[in-house]
Amino acid sequence: MSWHPLLLSLKVTSAATLLIFAIGLVLAIFFARHQFRGQTILETAIHLPLVLPPSVVGFYLLILLGRDGPFAHLFGWNLLFTWPAAVIASTVVGLPLMFQAARSAIANVDPDLEHAARTLGSSELEVMWRVTLPLSRRGILAGLVLGSTRALGEFGATLMVAANIPGKTQTLPLAIYDAVQNSQYGLAHQMVLLMTVLGFMSLWCVRRLEPFRRAEAAEERTHA
Amino acid sequence: MHDKDRNRLSIDIEKRLGGFSLNVRFEAATEVLVLYGPSGAGKSTTLNAIAGLNHPDAGEISLDGELFFRRHRDGPSCNLPPRRRSIGYVFQHYSLFPHMTALENVAYPRTRGKDRHQRAHELLDRMGLAHLAGHRPHELSGGQRQRVAIARALAIEPRILLLDEPFSALDLALRQRFQQELGQLQRELCLVVIYVTHNLDDAFAMGNRLAVLQEGRIRQIGPVDEVFRYPADHQVAEVMGIRNLFRARVVAATGAGLVLDWDGLGLHAPVQPLPGNVDVTVYIQPEDIKIIYPDRPLMDAVSHNQVEGNISSRSRNANFESLQVRLKNGHEVEVRFPRHAYLPLSLNPGEKIHLSLRRECLTLLPPAGKRKDG
Repeated sequence: MSWHPLLLSLKVTSAATLLIFAIGLVLAIFFARHQFRGQTILETAIHLPLVLPPSVVGFYLLILLGRDGPFAHLFGWNLLFTWPAAVIASTVVGLPLMFQAARSAIANVDPDLEHAARTLGSSELEVMWRVTLPLSRRGILAGLVLGSTRALGEFGATLMVAANIPGKTQTLPLAIYDAVQNSQYGLAHQMVLLMTVLGFMSLWCVRRLEPFRRAEAAEERTHA
Repeated sequence: MHDKDRNRLSIDIEKRLGGFSLNVRFEAATEVLVLYGPSGAGKSTTLNAIAGLNHPDAGEISLDGELFFRRHRDGPSCNLPPRRRSIGYVFQHYSLFPHMTALENVAYPRTRGKDRHQRAHELLDRMGLAHLAGHRPHELSGGQRQRVAIARALAIEPRILLLDEPFSALDLALRQRFQQELGQLQRELCLVVIYVTHNLDDAFAMGNRLAVLQEGRIRQIGPVDEVFRYPADHQVAEVMGIRNLFRARVVAATGAGLVLDWDGLGLHAPVQPLPGNVDVTVYIQPEDIKIIYPDRPLMDAVSHNQVEGNISSRSRNANFESLQVRLKNGHEVEVRFPRHAYLPLSLNPGEKIHLSLRRECLTLLPPAGKRKDG
């Protein structure tokens, strides 16, 4: 088995994870802290990649990243069929998971703790850095792990915008597809096993990061 | 550094919250001022406004002429952020940072400096908690958490200390100890302490002055004893939990005293200022109604205002017993006495009972005025 798909997948996922973290956190803080008109519409739009078929997400990205799209106009970049396109596709589908988890974790921090920090001399930025983020880090990390695992497993949209060029844009999920198409079942088995282990590990991490979730759910059931 | 004449906090604010409107105006000096009132009266909203955690719609808050907040329809506004007000705030549930140890909590305000932990240690030591410096809040008892919260609030060297029902989670013994300690701290550091509670015992133990807050208004402000003995009106009396309030008519007023008519029951009261109306509101504390033994000679103190009634119910707590007694005029009064008093009397519900409403304890309230009369 060639290591290229795995290495490319790791590269794409790492880059996507950084983007998911940065964009997701900024959005989460903003949406947890502000209420404004059209908030629900924007939130829904961020969540949309969760429910849309990958081909639809891929289609939008094709338009966005293509020769006549805003990226080409603004920056002069044509990212189509390059590995950064795979990064963008992975980011878009992983972002909602990070956003959702981080936003509710931040919103769940007791406002009195933040008030206390303010009376103790902290600026808003310091409150965020020393109180809010440390207290919501579990939720943020859980969202990040989910989002980056989703990015690792991204297939459909990536296929459309980055194509499936072996040695260039062929990530692990695409390589599995190719292997099956070419009846290389032994190779497919190895790669499928690898993906399953990675996915399992990530979900396990998320469970470890959310020890309260089950207790909360149980409590809700008793109240209902 | 501090002196008595400095540290004058003055507050005059308005704020609307949905259907509720807060409109308070008072001053506090180097003292413990108790903000007392039922829940929902606006106590916490007032504290938060002083600390800068919410913004009144209009008004002014200042300490010794230094403006914390000003907003008027015209004229410049000003709003100092909470971090610039140096106000120590002890929150109702203490709000210790759960991800920090007791020491880190107290050291929180200081971000730099070699002495940052040393100073926090001193404060913890002062509160008798030095041995718990390395513990997280969830490892501390309620009383310990509260003291860490006070130490943390003092760490910013505040001029004003705000406490929001700080003793509500503590048992009685701890409560009394902390009340004393807090009083000491206040005097030692010359702090303006504003203390919110809906517990009257706290108010008595802590307060130099008491401000009664109800439905977003200060109904009365003054020395604790004075407010309790001479509530400004019917509403304050009710908020203060004063029992046995009733409406009566002044039949005669002489140099020797007043004669009142309470729906057919004639009562004598001592000389006191009349509210300028023959219809008055009168109260007598449940402790000031004495039960008369049918087979013993009467003492002078209880010779006036003897009434008969039927016991309608009886209840007790750790310190006293109380009876609800229906009088001949159809009204009920509460009678309260120490446990083990009146042991020879059975005092069962349904029984007839002889009472004396002690003449010198019948107190007239100023009229409820234009406010709605309960």
